[in-house]
Amino acid sequence: MSYPPKLNAIIALFSDLPDAEKRETLIAYADQARSQEPKEGETFDLEDIRKDEECTDTVAVFLRLDEQGGAHFRVTLGPQVQTLTKAMSSILCKGLDGITPEEVLAIPADFVPKIVGAELVRLRSQTVYYLLTRMKGVAKVWLNRRRSEAAEGEDSPA
Amino acid sequence: MPWHSCGFDRVTFTDYNHYMSIDSNYAHPEALVTTEWVADHLKDEGIRIIESNEDVLLYDMGHLPGAVHIDWQRDLQDHTIRDYIQPSVFAELCSRNGITPETTCIFYGDKSNWWSCYALWVFRLFGHEKVKIMDGGRDKWIAEGRPLTREVPRYDATSYPVPTMRRDKEIRAFYEEALAQSRSGLPLIDVRSPGEYKGLVTHMPEYPQEGVLRGGHIPGARSVPWKEAVNADATFKSAAELAKIYREDLGLKDDDAIVAYCRIGERSSHTWFVLNYLLGFGNVRNYDGSWTEWGNRVGAPIEKSV
Repeated sequence: MSYPPKLNAIIALFSDLPDAEKRETLIAYADQARSQEPKEGETFDLEDIRKDEECTDTVAVFLRLDEQGGAHFRVTLGPQVQTLTKAMSSILCKGLDGITPEEVLAIPADFVPKIVGAELVRLRSQTVYYLLTRMKGVAKVWLNRRRSEAAEGEDSPA
Repeated sequence: MPWHSCGFDRVTFTDYNHYMSIDSNYAHPEALVTTEWVADHLKDEGIRIIESNEDVLLYDMGHLPGAVHIDWQRDLQDHTIRDYIQPSVFAELCSRNGITPETTCIFYGDKSNWWSCYALWVFRLFGHEKVKIMDGGRDKWIAEGRPLTREVPRYDATSYPVPTMRRDKEIRAFYEEALAQSRSGLPLIDVRSPGEYKGLVTHMPEYPQEGVLRGGHIPGARSVPWKEAVNADATFKSAAELAKIYREDLGLKDDDAIVAYCRIGERSSHTWFVLNYLLGFGNVRNYDGSWTEWGNRVGAPIEKSV
């Protein structure tokens, strides 16, 4: 499947980079991770804050839907979260911005090695996939809620 | 291992006792340096500060001024077979990092120094004698507000002689040796988390599954998680506290032949360091094949407990 345009642009950027520059670009994205945190006054349709057994620290994923149904993610990461995961939070918040929750669910994870590069995908860096899983989880919960609300609306007396 | 193999003799060590929050009752207190000591010796000749982490990009995010990066997988492991690099590759690694056989290598890193102990252990495999750990590692350095830099240092290449051998027989255990240890009832220490030891989980807490087919532990192994040996700030516990854990509670004796293991050998390197350098046991080997070998091996005996 094709990726959302913004994510596609990021993948294309990384695809052309030699390993050393991939590394530098990942560091630049990791540096921007804090800017993906919720801003003061922002409100969200769904918040998922937890520390899973598979993750080294707390990861909070916030979802806001705009009037056109586009999803906008914010992410807060605990200090022990790995640098690759920090980079991926920036990449995903930018790359998935504005697509629908249904489109979020359909994104395959096979773009991760294209961005990260073969050298850095290793035994102890698999948590790089974790954030996409969490975002998909949030999108799925939101969709299920919306479906439930729609069904309740249909069942209620006119 | 002779105590003088850590780079400083005891007389010199007492000269910088004023830096000590290092317990002088350790068997080899000279194997540890404090963050304060490192901060004051960053530019010393004859010292190389080496960062080794689990987080593959952490060094790039900032490291101690002058520190070089040795990556446990890229630099220390053979990329084809599951083994460590060959002696010639180790010599190249040292040469390009400006290390000579006389250089005192001071290791530090993330995860309470798991990977720095692992790198130190690999350096010992190749017979590099002058090795130390910065107590508390990267987290303590940062917690104390000490500086980090992104500048990657360049050192003049040295001509490190190719080691004539790897000391596998002295400080490393293989599957057959761990099996013999189990069958003989000799001390085997499982340093993984209690859940992994019991066979309740096949990955450590906070980590994804790493491809092990069976859970449990090597028959006869005793559970002493690596974490028992450290304080909340990632420094090592005192000599008395460590002696209570390993001598009194676990019952280890000075002349015991001890084998420690975990999943891939990094947490057991940490325990190997504790037993060898801090408590002075003379015959400790790290079974680096660990549970990712044992738990996948056809026919390997396994115990579970509740």
